[in-house]
Formats: sequence, C-alpha cells, structure tokens
Amino acid sequence: MNKKIIAIIAVLVLAALAFVGYKTFLSPKGVEGAKEVTVNIVIEKEGIDETFTYNTDYEFLIELLEENQEELGITFEEYDFGKMITGMMGYTVDPNSEYFHIYVNGEDATTGVAEIPLNDQDTYTFELKNF
Amino acid sequence: MKSKDIVLIGILSATLTAGKLALSFIPNVEIVTVLFIAYTIVFGYRKTILVSLVFATTEIFLYGFNTWLLVYYFIWPFLILLTELMKKVIKSEYGYAILGAIFGYTFGFFFAIGESFFYGIAYGWTYWIRGLLFDLIHGTSNFIIILTLLNPLKKLLFKLKKAYYNE
Repeated sequence: MNKKIIAIIAVLVLAALAFVGYKTFLSPKGVEGAKEVTVNIVIEKEGIDETFTYNTDYEFLIELLEENQEELGITFEEYDFGKMITGMMGYTVDPNSEYFHIYVNGEDATTGVAEIPLNDQDTYTFELKNF
Repeated sequence: MKSKDIVLIGILSATLTAGKLALSFIPNVEIVTVLFIAYTIVFGYRKTILVSLVFATTEIFLYGFNTWLLVYYFIWPFLILLTELMKKVIKSEYGYAILGAIFGYTFGFFFAIGESFFYGIAYGWTYWIRGLLFDLIHGTSNFIIILTLLNPLKKLLFKLKKAYYNE
C-alpha cells in the first residue's frame, strides 16, 4: 500500500482514539436518577421573571428544556457548535445585540446549554442580556 | 521592496482569504496552514509574514473586530518562522505534515492564552477544553492536506515564481 495512505490511516486511527479519550474523560457527564431542579427566566425589559420547578430523570438541561419547550416558550437554533436558545417565554432575541445568559446556581455557566448536566436542587437562570 | 513584491503580497493574501472562505463550511478544515508553509518555502519568510499581516487585517474587515482575531497577528507569523527554521531540517512533506498537525492540535491552546488575557484564566481554560474536538479535527486534517497537497503546490509555485520574476 502507498506509504502516504498508511500514514493517513494511522493518523485517523490515532484521532479516533483521542476522540474516544475526550468523550470518556473530558466531556461533561450527566447524573442518572430523579432530580428536582428550578428553571428561572428573567427578561427585564418585558417584566418577565418566572420560576418553574421540575422533577426529572433527564441528565442534561437541554433535554428538560426540549420537553417543556411549549410551557417555557423556547425557540432554538442549530449552529455548527451546537444548539443555541434564540427565544424564551415567547420573546425572540435580537441576534445582533441580545442573548440569553445562563447561570447555574448564580454562577456563570461555563459551557453551552447542550452540555450543562442536571443536578438535584440546582437552579438554572436564563437572563436576557445585551452584548 | 519592489512593486512586483507588493503586488505578489496582495495576491498571496487574497488566495488565503479566498481559500479560507471556500472551506469555511467545514469547521476547522482549512488550507491556510498548507498555503503559509508553501509560501514560506517558495517566497521566503519575510514576504510571507507581510502576507500574514494583510490576511489577519482582512479577517477583521470580514468578521468585525474580535479579541480572538488579535491572535491571528501572532499565530500565523509564528507558523511562518517555525517553517523557516525547520526548512533546513525537514527533508520531506512528512516533516511539514507533522509540523502542521502539531500546529492544528495546539491552535485552540494559543487562542485560549489570548482569551485569558481578556477574560481570565478560567474562561481560557474552558475555551480550550471546549474546543479540543475542533483542534483534533484541525490537526488531523492539516496532516492529510499537507501530506497530499504540499508537494504539488510547491512545484506549481516555484514554476510561477520563476515566470513572475523572470528568473
């Protein structure tokens, strides 16, 4: 077989192994089992500050949001890097100046909405902000 | 610097912007790295560094000013200088493919350092970890692209250079 093809296959195999390693050790993991979590939505300029409590077995926040999409009035948009929230409580963000900032127990979320794991008694706050 | 050099720098930077845009629909698969390596080998590091500065500035015109774009002013000249330094050591396209792969795998790390200056180390760390899968695609695709395209590109560019400068 051509030497170059062998080198390319070897690199692809190594990349696949690294991918498995990343998924096993570094990507966020969900917690199994029943949890009670709170979702808080704040859209100050519309006077919206709503709190919802859910009992769920889901492992990631995105799953909970998708199940309650209608009640929370959420719209999503799919991008290369994952799903992004474009609207809540029927309010659609102006993509040029606004976004929903996510807090987990009052702290800034460090990942996108699709990677936030659900933990019992956690509060997830979505606040409309300008950038 | 002759007027021919100035024209050449403009043309080369245009090929980089066009090449980047043409492949922008595939995340982190790009031909900018292979082009910078080939340009450094064929035209030398001085001209290619100027090309990289024009390229980085064009990015700002296209995407608006972002903190991550500042890293472009350092990361591409760094690759060019690395290529220049390795020129004497690397004898085949395999060496450059490895150089491009390492460059791709660490690409996000350089940006994470840049972002840390603006938003703090915690943000930089998260930025890096979040982007690791993209770096994996970047480094791996760089390896394949350089291994397959560098030699034909070099051959073509040497020919064009000869004709352009009437050597």
